[in-house]
Amino acid sequence: MYIPYVDIVPQLIANSVIAGAIYALIALGFNLIYGTTKFFNLAHGAVAACGAYAVFAILKTFALPVNIVVACAIGAFVAGIIGYGLERLIYRPLRRRKASNMVLMVASLGAFTALQAFIAILFTSQFQALESSGGISGAIEIYGAIITHTQVVIITCGIAIMAILAFIAKYTLFGKAVSAIKDDEEVARMVGIDTDRIIGKVFFIGSAIAGVAGILIGFDTGIEPTMGMNLLLKGTIASIIGGVGSLYGGFLGAFVLGFAENFGIWKISGEWKDAIAFVVLIVFLLVRPEGIIKK
Amino acid sequence: MKEILLKLNDVHVHYGGVHALDGASVAIDEGEIVALMGPNGAGKSTVLKAIFGIAPIHSGEVLWHEKKFVPIPHEVVKRGIAFVPQGRRVFKYLTVEENLEIGGFIVGDKGELRRRMDEIMETFPALKTKRKAKSGTLSGGQQQMLAIARGLMVDPKVLLLDEPSLGLAPKIVKEVFENIRLINERHKTAIVVVEHNIKSILSIVHRAYVLDKGKVAAHGKPEELLSSGVLEKIFLGA
Repeated sequence: MYIPYVDIVPQLIANSVIAGAIYALIALGFNLIYGTTKFFNLAHGAVAACGAYAVFAILKTFALPVNIVVACAIGAFVAGIIGYGLERLIYRPLRRRKASNMVLMVASLGAFTALQAFIAILFTSQFQALESSGGISGAIEIYGAIITHTQVVIITCGIAIMAILAFIAKYTLFGKAVSAIKDDEEVARMVGIDTDRIIGKVFFIGSAIAGVAGILIGFDTGIEPTMGMNLLLKGTIASIIGGVGSLYGGFLGAFVLGFAENFGIWKISGEWKDAIAFVVLIVFLLVRPEGIIKK
Repeated sequence: MKEILLKLNDVHVHYGGVHALDGASVAIDEGEIVALMGPNGAGKSTVLKAIFGIAPIHSGEVLWHEKKFVPIPHEVVKRGIAFVPQGRRVFKYLTVEENLEIGGFIVGDKGELRRRMDEIMETFPALKTKRKAKSGTLSGGQQQMLAIARGLMVDPKVLLLDEPSLGLAPKIVKEVFENIRLINERHKTAIVVVEHNIKSILSIVHRAYVLDKGKVAAHGKPEELLSSGVLEKIFLGA
């Protein structure tokens, strides 16, 4: 296939925005959960992989005759249910026993490992392609930058989900209840909020968003059982540099990270990408530990 | 004859080896203001927390309209009991209006929520002018008003107030106590108030309980307690 000459800067910008949108999808769900429960849910990355593999199972393993959009919706729902299940079966009983955030984090690491192993047992450890048979293939060119249709969907989803979450947070009673729990869970209970129920919903929504991220990355670059670790690391870094627990902070941090990584490798090898991400993290931890958006 | 709304019967609350309540019995009648007094660690706040399901009840019972129930915070609110915790604890990142909206979380109907909010703003005019302000930016007195207003959003039959004067200037304390009296008078809301400011609180309450070491040491009308010498005995060891 003939690929036209592309000026490197527009492509770097496009790549940065695409990476930012992916990290944003992970960071949005991660921050939503962290903001409400105050612990790092490390299983979040594996939940994203579960969403991708659910779509793989529907479209490839069982080759069910369903529309790709329906398959993706089911995949996101599966991720949401897994996230909700983890909260209901592991985190909630631990919180009731007044477990510390460190204990919850370790439990989530265990859940991450178990989910990853479960995926590998069911689908093997091999890298798999999740290309679609009907729909999101092809590419567009903007100012010389090539962006695939899948990547357009990733950017659109990242922005749309952020907008929806911002609307929910600002204009719905559910969003305000989440803010109240973030602020003071005990008082939220005192005013009549069933905090367990709200936290359960937060886990479902946050995990479903992670599932969307996993699915879209699957269509873009493929899937493997260990894909969750990289997603988790980047999502966590984006959250920390943006302002952990903050919806807008996570979104902003994701794009800062995307730009830093992609422009950072302009003149050096792409293998430095992860190192750049961690350098950015360390710089923020030293200079502005509260993140870009201070609460 | 007034009906007993809320009752604690021989309630024991243990925190590890510490007996915060050691067989306390308290009854709240319809439409009255009741003070819970006593030295630090007497168990005053624990009584409120036990009613609300925040303190772990080891034994004893909580009754609502003479019927026993197991208190769970979000369900207690649905029965018509509201709790204004110590230290105000407003949701500081939400606006005044949003705090009130969250206070009426269980109300459901948006029109009713708006009606109650407007009514409460009339009772607390200082909040009306600050309705769009983040509550974390309010003064201590305004935050206390907001915390009480938030509790009133469920139109409670019983309002539990934990040290509403804590950290406030005397002038503001007077204002807070006057508001407590007005709420009781206008809405016939029964109010249980934990307070250290004995002299001021006794001027607005109908009855008071004096707690000491997790037990009720005395109870009665303010004038009875003042003349009995029990307050000096408990507070000063005289």
